Parts: sequence; C-alpha cells; structure tokens
Amino acid sequence: MNVLITPAMVGQVIISGLLSGVLYGMVALGLALIFGVMRIINVAHGPLLMLGAYTTFFLYSAFGLNPYLTVPVSMAVLFVVGVLLERTLVFRVVDAPELSSLLLTFGISIALVNAAQLAFTSDLRAVEFLTGSWILGPFAFSKSRVIAFVFAAALTAGAFVFLKSTRLGKAIRATSQSREVAMVCGIDVGAIHRLTFGLASALAAAGGALIAVIVAIQPEMGQIWTFKSFLVIVLGGAGNYPGALLGGMLLGLVEQLASLFLTTQLSEVVAYVLLVLVLLVRPTGLLGGRQT
Amino acid sequence: MKRPAILAVGITALGVLGASLLASAQGPVRIGASLSLTGTYAKLGKNQHEGYQLCQKDLNAKGGILGRKVEFVVYDDQSMPPTGVRLYEKLITEDKVDAVMGPYSSPITEAVANVTEKYKKVMVSPLAATTSIFKKEPRRKYIFMVISPAEVYLEGLIDMAAKRGLKTVVIVNEDTLFSKAAAAGAADLAKKKGMQVVFQEAYPKGNTDFSALLTKIKATNPDVIAAATYFDDAVAMTRQMRELNVNPKMYGVTVGGDLPEFYDTLKGNAEYIYGATQWEPVLSYPGNKEWFEAYKAEFKHEPSYHSAAGYAGCVIYAEGVKRAGSLEPDKVREALLKLEMRTMFGDYKVDQDGFQLAHKMVTFQWQKEKKIVVWPDDLAQGKVQFPTPAWNAR
Repeated sequence: MNVLITPAMVGQVIISGLLSGVLYGMVALGLALIFGVMRIINVAHGPLLMLGAYTTFFLYSAFGLNPYLTVPVSMAVLFVVGVLLERTLVFRVVDAPELSSLLLTFGISIALVNAAQLAFTSDLRAVEFLTGSWILGPFAFSKSRVIAFVFAAALTAGAFVFLKSTRLGKAIRATSQSREVAMVCGIDVGAIHRLTFGLASALAAAGGALIAVIVAIQPEMGQIWTFKSFLVIVLGGAGNYPGALLGGMLLGLVEQLASLFLTTQLSEVVAYVLLVLVLLVRPTGLLGGRQT
Repeated sequence: MKRPAILAVGITALGVLGASLLASAQGPVRIGASLSLTGTYAKLGKNQHEGYQLCQKDLNAKGGILGRKVEFVVYDDQSMPPTGVRLYEKLITEDKVDAVMGPYSSPITEAVANVTEKYKKVMVSPLAATTSIFKKEPRRKYIFMVISPAEVYLEGLIDMAAKRGLKTVVIVNEDTLFSKAAAAGAADLAKKKGMQVVFQEAYPKGNTDFSALLTKIKATNPDVIAAATYFDDAVAMTRQMRELNVNPKMYGVTVGGDLPEFYDTLKGNAEYIYGATQWEPVLSYPGNKEWFEAYKAEFKHEPSYHSAAGYAGCVIYAEGVKRAGSLEPDKVREALLKLEMRTMFGDYKVDQDGFQLAHKMVTFQWQKEKKIVVWPDDLAQGKVQFPTPAWNAR
C-alpha cells in the first residue's frame, strides 16, 4: 500500500538522509583510519561508540551536564580506552594475517558488550534533552539531529585538517602509505598506531554521544554501527578518508529514499545492493581505495 | 569366591535402587526455560523471568509440586529464536529437566515449540500471543496459551476510535510474528467497524529511524495511528512523531507501552498514548493486590504484565500437575485441557488446541504519569482524554 509522494516529502527525507549521512561519515572515518594505517577491520568500533554513548548518558544523568558539553569528555575517555586497547591487545595482530585481527577485535567487541550489559544492565536509557524540531515551511528539522549534524561536520572537518596539515597528521598518512618508509624516516610507527586507534575511538565516542541524544541507548546499540561503518568505507573506498564522508552521505540518502519510495524493510536491501554494484563496477570504492 | 561376588552384585543393585528411589523422592522438579535476558526483548524477558522466580519461591513455600521442591533452570537466548531452539534441545536432552515452561515472545516460542513437541514435553507458554503458534497443521498437542491472542491487542483502540466517529487509520508494525498478527487483527477490526485503513507498512526488527515512514504517514493525515510495536521501536517512533509533528487524534502502541520505563524514557511525550495490556495491578482479580506488593518487595520494582503472566503460567502448570497427580506429559496435558482457573492474572480456559479463550485484554492511556485503564467500560478506571492535542499545543 503506498501513498502519493509529493516533492515536499522527498525534500523531507533528503534532509533526514543528509543529517544522518554526515554522522555515518564521521563514525566511519574512525574505522577508515584504523584500516588505512593498521590494515585492521575493527569490529569493536560500534561497541566503542556504545561506550561513548554511555559516558554521555551518565554525565548527563548524574551531574545534569548539557549532553553536548559531554561530547569532548566522551571523546577524551574513549581516546584513552582506544590507546590502552592498542597498547595491550591490538598491537599484537598488526602484522598477523587478517583473520587474527578480525578474531581479536570481534572478541573485544563481545567482551565490551557483555561487560556493558553487566555494568549498565540492558535497560533502555535515554538522554531526554532536546526533543522536537524546528519547522521551516513544509520541512521539519529535528533539533537533536541538526545539532548532531553540526558537531559531526565540524569534527570531520577538524579531522581532515589535522590529517592534512599537522606534523602528526602527516605522520599518520605517511604510515598509512608505507609503514617501512615511515619508519626509515624516523616516525615512531608504534606511537602512530596508538594515536590512530585512540583518535578512531574518539570519533566513535563522539558519534555515540550525539546518538544518545537522538535515540534511546542500550549495550547492543553498537553492532549495527560497525556494519554501517563497514558498508560506508567500502562504498567510499577502504582507507580513503574523504571517501568515508562521501560513503556516509550516500548511505544516509539511499536508506531514506528507499524507505520513502519502497518500504522501510527494503531500505537495507537497497543499501547492500548498492554495495554489490559499487564492488562490481569499482572494486576499490567510489573514490578509490588505499594504494598498495 | 562365589558368595562375595553375589554379595557385591546385590549390594550394587540395592545401591542403584536406593539411589534412584532417593532421587525420585527428594530431588527437585526441575523446570527448564530459555528467556530473553539480553538483546531486543531483554526488558520484557527479564520481567517474565522474575515471574518464574517468584512462582518458584511461592510454590516451594507451599511444599512444591507433588511433594518435591521446584527449581527453575534458565538460560539466556539473547532474544534470538535459533539460540532458543538450541537451549531447549539442551535442556531436554542434556540437562534432562522434568518439565519446561515457555520462553519470551512469539517468534521464539514458535521456533522452540518444534523442539518441545518433538520430545512430547508439555509447555505452558505464558508470553506467546500469536494465534498461528497454537492453530497449526500438523497439530501441536503439548503447548498451552495463557494470554490473549495478538489479534486483539489493538481492539480497544480501534473500538474507542470507531465509537468517536473517527474514519481513517494507519497501521504499522515490526515485521515479526506477533506484531504482524496484531496489525492484521487491527486492520480486520477497523474494516468491520467501517473505518478506512489508509496506509499500512511493516518495518524490520531493530529499526530506530522512522523518518521516511512517518513522512509517508503524515501525508495521509490519519485520525488514528495503530502501531504494533515492541519497546525500543515504540520509544523511537514516538520521539520521531514529535520531531516530524505527526498529529493523529489517537495514537496507540502494543507491547512496551505499558512498561514504567516507557514513561521514564519519554517523559511528557508519553502522555495521551494508548497502550494495550494483558494485566494491570488495579484489576480486581483474586490475590492481585497482594501479589503486586509481594513482587515489589522481592524485586524492588513494579511488575509488568510479562511478570504477571510468567507467574500465572507457572501456577497454571503446577495446578495441571497437581490435578494429573503426575509429571507424565499426556496426563498433565489432559488436566490442562480441562482446567478452568482464575488467577491474579485473570481467567484461564483453553480449547482443544491449547488456545486461550477466557483471558481479557484491557486498553489504558497514559495520563499525568499514570496508566489509566479506559477500555473495556466494565473495567475502566477513568475517562479517555480525547482527542490527543497536537505536539506544539501541549
């Protein structure tokens, strides 16, 4: 059963798609960074996002902090968690066959989700801070989603500037291009790996903090974000950083438009069909993958 | 040589006999179940688990079943039907439990019923509300229903809407067994009452973004939105209805809407929302008030109907065993088919398929942080606040 679709409705879902697309892009950028620099698919990316969401929830509910002020705190906390994870576990699998890193991060993911279930219970929690929307003509702009969009856009831009123009950022990109040459040039590759893992976790945490204001959270919220981020970086080109943003926007739009013109159920199918098409036509993703 | 050998055999035989006698006389009746302690249905599955736990405590306080203590063996199926199937297989074949009780939710019950039927185990399934689980070819013989079927969950909402002369209704549902049946029941009833179903769509389990769906719904400008939901989706949909300024005159959900957490999560946005429930503490069933207080004292929070149904299901099973005088599945089955019983949860009486006939569903509305039962008229506590005001007029 379908309704007559008007241009205003299309406009509304394009708005929704772009708003969530940038968020997808930011979260996926974290996954792309780790893949680019360390050649690891971090399955625990989503659960790290979940921890960021809980950090925001607890700061909000315990101290009444404005949840948007907790975004940097969540990022800092998860940066440290990320560095520690790299330091203790992940560094062991950097040069190992791909299966080892998949297994390890999968294990970390299970451990994090179960620890969260024990510590936080599986009750649904919500940061009931900003509900409602701004109405502009026929369009509604969800307040929490618009602010998440602004944060995500700013953080993504910040990450690009950092990678492009700072010494550390250049060192990260150098390591991602060729670890051996970077090492020869005097870059401490181990430190770069830790930094990368920390940064990626911080980006996930920012996503989690922003999502916590949009929807209710629970310990298993993260896994779907691992899948979405993976989809996004394959669409955009694995290890290609601007590609992550493009892939995120594309996924956001495709999901929403497919839900509008087809059904909500088919939107996921459409997203994965798109993935298959991209892999058939451009196996390295839309913007091309990391050079090998 | 000869005599000591015979003696040894004799002693061993006596020992085995003695041990088995002891076991049957004193070992507890072990009742197995898998429940959704984590995953999508965790909130509801945990309440059901607490219902079982309280039942175990109360049964044991009264001397157990057939003079034996009762002990629940519970595993976590993570809200996933395949896991449930594996766990019931394990409970029956490895743990060799004496009896089983149902898991949480229709999809999981549907899956595990194949296992319990295979091993001819009676399974009272307190939280399975989908008709097709019980009305199935080939017939399922050992499964028993406790709550009202999914098809009538939205009956109160549709009935009240029709009485107030509302004409158009939108029906959405999670694409799983129970929600589909609830949506289908609502659609049938709406048509019977002369209302027009202007839009109907399902969404996948775990969906939390309803922007596009609600954009379509908004375009049809319906009088009523009837949503066959579980919990997470009901919360997400309500928040986005406000964001997208979707304003029906009545909006009702099915499962999840009755949990105290629904209001805690949504705060004022939950006001005016209708929900369906199998049970409320205010209903005047025998021992209901006392049970409510005992539950609160035991678990430090209020029960939901999932807790109550879990408890009642366990009590009904125990009554069946008592009347059968045995744990033998075919005898218990006969007793449960004949049983007519009123618990603190309401009435129990099933047809030859174990399908529930007697239990009654009620509809409530969230009013000033409280659930007020508004339908049916003979059980209503208060008046309906109608119509639901627009989001920006609250």
